[in-house]
Amino acid sequence: MNTTRRKITIDPVTRVEGHGRVTVQMDEQGKVKQARFHVVEFRGFERFIQGHPYWEAPLLVQRLCGICPVSHHLAAAKAIDQIYGVDPEDLHPTASKIRRLLHFAQVFQSHSLHFFYLASPDLLFGLDAPVEKRSVGAVATEHRDLARMGIQMRQFGQELIKALAGKKIHGITAVPGGVHKTFYPEERDYFLEDNNTPSIDTMIKWSQDVVSFIKDYHNQNFNWLDSFASYPSGHLGLVGRDGQLELYDGFLRAIDSDGAVTLNDVHSDQYLKYFGEGVEKWSYMKFPFLRHLGRKDGWNRVGPLARLNVCDHIPTPLANEEFREFKAYTNGQPNNHTMHSHWARLIEILHCAEQIKLLLNDKEILDEVPRPPVNRRPEGIGIIEAPRGTLIHHYKADEKGSITKCNLIVSTTHNNEPMNRAVQWVAQNVLDQQTEITEGMLNQVEVAIRAYDPCLSCATHAMGKMPLMLTVLDAAGNVIAEHVKNSS
Amino acid sequence: MSILFGIGNSGRNDDGLGWAFLDRIQQEMEFLGQLEYRYQLQVEDAELISRADRVIFVDSYQGDLPGGFQWQPCETSNDVEFTSHVLPPGSVLYLCQDLYGKSPRADLLLIQGQSWGLKMGMSPEAERNLDSALRFFRNKVHLNELKRS
Repeated sequence: MNTTRRKITIDPVTRVEGHGRVTVQMDEQGKVKQARFHVVEFRGFERFIQGHPYWEAPLLVQRLCGICPVSHHLAAAKAIDQIYGVDPEDLHPTASKIRRLLHFAQVFQSHSLHFFYLASPDLLFGLDAPVEKRSVGAVATEHRDLARMGIQMRQFGQELIKALAGKKIHGITAVPGGVHKTFYPEERDYFLEDNNTPSIDTMIKWSQDVVSFIKDYHNQNFNWLDSFASYPSGHLGLVGRDGQLELYDGFLRAIDSDGAVTLNDVHSDQYLKYFGEGVEKWSYMKFPFLRHLGRKDGWNRVGPLARLNVCDHIPTPLANEEFREFKAYTNGQPNNHTMHSHWARLIEILHCAEQIKLLLNDKEILDEVPRPPVNRRPEGIGIIEAPRGTLIHHYKADEKGSITKCNLIVSTTHNNEPMNRAVQWVAQNVLDQQTEITEGMLNQVEVAIRAYDPCLSCATHAMGKMPLMLTVLDAAGNVIAEHVKNSS
Repeated sequence: MSILFGIGNSGRNDDGLGWAFLDRIQQEMEFLGQLEYRYQLQVEDAELISRADRVIFVDSYQGDLPGGFQWQPCETSNDVEFTSHVLPPGSVLYLCQDLYGKSPRADLLLIQGQSWGLKMGMSPEAERNLDSALRFFRNKVHLNELKRS
């Protein structure tokens, strides 16, 4: 690789959702002048959905993302409930439990996929591993049992989603004010026993095993896990009434890097009062911030690490035990170690497995759900904790029921500034003043971004569409080195 | 068992070609195998295809294809360095072979698309290419092979 480079571009980042690009700008002395994470695809979904009947929103938003359609489905459903005339606390208990079960299944499978197939190559083979090692294929070859376990955990979540929604793709669980179908005993029993898919008890056991794995890994590798891409930040997430970890419906809480509360358990319908969205000309993705703290200081991380930072406890015993240990490592102070996101994610996997078992054994989940009467309102706001963090859906509808306005703040958008900070950390600590930029160094940029499990609009994927391009430009903007790989 | 995967997203114009292909199969042919709709292939599909003798992946393609479509053997590949959560068909085959010791015969049917916006419905070019691909599939693959299996 040419050592006279001035600008390094990785386009797009590998193994994250959709199209992203990292640009590191060097000065004449080889010092990092600027490092940015760009999003180069514009979705336009908010405009696309205008004019559609409000009840279509939970169905249409599933097209946003092939990885977390359930999260968008449920956030939209919560918002549309309100336009229909039902607040979350008034939703039929069985409907609420079925939706929660669906949500825990989604988070369980999404976290499993991320850990076993996206993050594990970074952990198992190291930051400087050759390219051919940094893949799920290498994990399958060298850690077969781990790879199989990952597949079966993911399958468990997917099968549960299918049982609740009728099918994996285009399934319908939530409808305005309720749920589409009853959950039948034979469907429920399938997940309590070992079948083609292992039982929920096995899932809990495996979840404990992977938490033990990450703790052991941390004990052996705390030097880099505690420092890599770490920086002080605010943290944002939902909490329940008692301050517990809450993924489906709760109050918005934010803290600063020292633990001081910056957003004190705010109801979801107040989000516009507290959140602003900054715009930068170099990225299509916005930069959310807390208005009272301003664009510069009001940004927050979201996702597993943030959620464990803002909550007081986890309402399931096994996960709460792990939570206590996790909190003890930083003496109860906010954990700003970016790579500890993986640890937090695995504790959440355990929590989801425990919650799934509780709900599967709750007789009320098998009840039929009557549809409440409609009592139309002009707008609705739905906020949930998606696998990647706080997800906000906001809709307005006219008197005919047509959507007139849609605003989405997706989890990865909240993490826009944090991911930029992570890229800046790697640029400053790994790339700065290097005479040669190696593949391993560039991979560290991706490792930092991957900790956030970003999803950058993956809804179009056609074969031949997505090259990986590494471009090196000189000061005049001329390409002096280029490396392109294709996925097909 | 035969499995036909339609990969795509009908909310993104011609990215819906894979799903549209499966829709038409259901409407027009007596396909005896299993039809699977996917936004993207996933790791658990490796386990699913380990139970199949025959697998066909149908996906849209952004680029020029002679006649608007291309039928080709799907080669096993461990080259998955650039994917997101997406796995190319060859990588699913690789995982199937590596984790489950099975290698079903697999082919890939790529159908050329034109428009990729956030919109339902396909372009006229994609519709034409879909017709061509279906004709080929019916005459060369379905009648000769799959209908008997």
